Amino acid sequence: MEGIKGAIKDALDFSDFPKSERIGIIIFYIYLLIFPWVVSSSFARAVMIQFLLFALYGMGWNTIGGYGGQVALGKAQYVGISAYTVAMMMILFNIPFWVSMPIGVFLAVLWSFMIGYPLFRLKGHYFAIATIAVSLVLQDIFRNWEFVGGERGLSLPFKGTPNFLYMQFKSDVYYYYFMLIFFTLGLFYMNWFRKSRLGYQLRAVKANEDVAASLGINVRWAKIKAYAIASAFVAVGGAFYAVYHMYIDTSSVMHLELSILIALMAMLGGAASLWGPIIGAAILVPLDRYLGSWIGGAKGLLGLDLIIYSIIIMLVAALEPRGIWGIVEKVRAKRG
Amino acid sequence: MKIFLRTFIVALLLFVLATGTGFAAPKEVKIGVIFPLSGGLATTGKLLRIGVELAAEIVNNKTENIDIPMAKWEGIPGLGGAKIKLIFMDHRSDPARGADLAKRLIKDEKVVGILGCYNSSVTKSVSTVCERYGVPMINSNSTSPPLTTRGYKWFWRTTPHNVTFSHDLYKFLIGLTKGKSKGVGKVPMKDLERIAIAGEETEFGATGIKVLEELAPKYGFKVVKAIKYRHQSPDLTSEVQAIRASNPGVVAFIPYVSDAILFMRTFKSMKFSPKIVWGQDAGTVQPGFAEGLKKDAVGVLTRTVFVPKIAEVKPVAKQVNSLFKKRSGEDFSGTSARAFTGLQTWAYVLNNAKSTDPKAIQKAANALYIPGKELIMPWKGIKFGGEQKGEMGQNILGSGMIAQWQVSPGDTVPHLEAVYPFEYATAKLIYPFPKWK
Repeated sequence: MEGIKGAIKDALDFSDFPKSERIGIIIFYIYLLIFPWVVSSSFARAVMIQFLLFALYGMGWNTIGGYGGQVALGKAQYVGISAYTVAMMMILFNIPFWVSMPIGVFLAVLWSFMIGYPLFRLKGHYFAIATIAVSLVLQDIFRNWEFVGGERGLSLPFKGTPNFLYMQFKSDVYYYYFMLIFFTLGLFYMNWFRKSRLGYQLRAVKANEDVAASLGINVRWAKIKAYAIASAFVAVGGAFYAVYHMYIDTSSVMHLELSILIALMAMLGGAASLWGPIIGAAILVPLDRYLGSWIGGAKGLLGLDLIIYSIIIMLVAALEPRGIWGIVEKVRAKRG
Repeated sequence: MKIFLRTFIVALLLFVLATGTGFAAPKEVKIGVIFPLSGGLATTGKLLRIGVELAAEIVNNKTENIDIPMAKWEGIPGLGGAKIKLIFMDHRSDPARGADLAKRLIKDEKVVGILGCYNSSVTKSVSTVCERYGVPMINSNSTSPPLTTRGYKWFWRTTPHNVTFSHDLYKFLIGLTKGKSKGVGKVPMKDLERIAIAGEETEFGATGIKVLEELAPKYGFKVVKAIKYRHQSPDLTSEVQAIRASNPGVVAFIPYVSDAILFMRTFKSMKFSPKIVWGQDAGTVQPGFAEGLKKDAVGVLTRTVFVPKIAEVKPVAKQVNSLFKKRSGEDFSGTSARAFTGLQTWAYVLNNAKSTDPKAIQKAANALYIPGKELIMPWKGIKFGGEQKGEMGQNILGSGMIAQWQVSPGDTVPHLEAVYPFEYATAKLIYPFPKWK
């Protein structure tokens, strides 16, 4: 009981951040809270939902990728597992979202243990390549598996709106607040995580595995646990994706591109920092969607949005490998 | 001074009123168009776009020498002459992006309806958004059969789908065995009965393989190999080896453009020539296929819904094609001609609905009939209903064709000649597929 109380206290305690950051996050959070009431554009809402989704993915990735320093590039498979679980259970047995989502997350975590156990015998680049390979194999299996719709994907049945049990609403506002709740929970969890025993262990592992092991840390087990936590985060996002878009196929929820995007957003924002994945998603998602819809449809400017998008990524990567948050900290260090 | 000020204010008010009401732009009706305009399908997207834009221009402006009633409309008569305004969006083959853009079009741009989306997978996610908001969507180019069996009330498809097209392949092959093709004698069944299928692995190819496999036994054919491959793949050698090893008489492809070209190049390098090479539309039908392969494309059959040669038997097609060629430098293909027809259908539906109210549009679409002679497509017309189990919103008067890439003496780039239905053949079939030199 004491432990849980302590954990909750840790999760809610942001006092070790500078005042400016605390004020910044409060303002940003208030903005998120009132966003649907301030902005009525439904495209803007769709973009914000996408932002919250990727922020959640990124926070999850940050456990293993940021704090643990293990470049995992196969996160899409866990998005896929829970999205497919939710879709299949709804199609076959009419099971509501709120029941199928935890099952989907559970299956994703289970799979992550099965994959994590052998995979963490590998280190560095080999580990990164292995995560890609496993993810691709799983995608190919799903693509050829008729039972789960194969390449045709799965369309979720309409249940009439509004329907809270099956998470089917006409307005995006409901989906927005659903994602905001999970975003908030994710943020608190990560705030606790970075101060937790596992959080410190991972940082030690990242700094030097041999030293960490000599201090009595079970390196492999710490990595596996963090990998499972990351999988749970993205699995929540995957379950949401299925009910939100009501259509999934392997190229939308299991594609390598998604795995890379998840890692990219966290890295670009700043890995191993609490704000990094949020900043990364807050910049990349709107940039991609708005540029795409403004320029993408315009004649004569085809592809320009993609060029701008990639130039920004290249610039950040070249200027500061620690991402945007790294740039902020650099500037701050110079001043102070 | 005061009087001066007052006069000024009154004048200003009058100006505002005048510009706000009197000089208001003529009414327009917005249609959202979602296509893959960049990325791997950019070339296709460009042609789709020109097709749709051409149709809108013909509706909006009086166009001489086009024997379709809408060429004389100058806007949509049923809506008091409102002009069609197209808003294009680029989905880059991503279903989630397509869905977000559909929301933007529906809620922010307030379009009356959607046209799109080419890729069947994106059509699925976008039509789900339309269904959720009760906004009509017309689809002109996606051929995945299940699209019209989902019970959607706001979705209509003008193009025939892969089930119809796959029947055509087998009917064509059976016709060959009966000697129905001009200039080709009776072909023994044993030359054709072994079929190998290679389909790209997304929805388009995968569904295509499934339908071909299911139908084969009904017509007495045997599928000896069916493989899926990645259409961005830089090398298809092992796929072609597997196909060749199965010793097929007929090779059926379900490809996009770059992979279709790569397949033929690999065929050539391996000197592999089956009796028949047939492609399911998309990749093998586009001008880029013939331009990329030049004479190596000769003899390849493609399922299509349109060949420029149709112009010889269909004056309307010839007239519209000349306008299209002026804009794009190319003849209509099945892809662009169907996109044109998609927007034409939108114009007819809006004209019959006499309102932009979704319910009125829904009613008009369900009751729509466009006679074949007003279409550039060689169809009996457009009328929505269903043929598959539980199907609705599918054009039941559409049909497919099979065409062959052939080259005229003196030309370097082949063109398409219709070879099926046999009665509409515009040239002699090249059979068997030429041996590689």
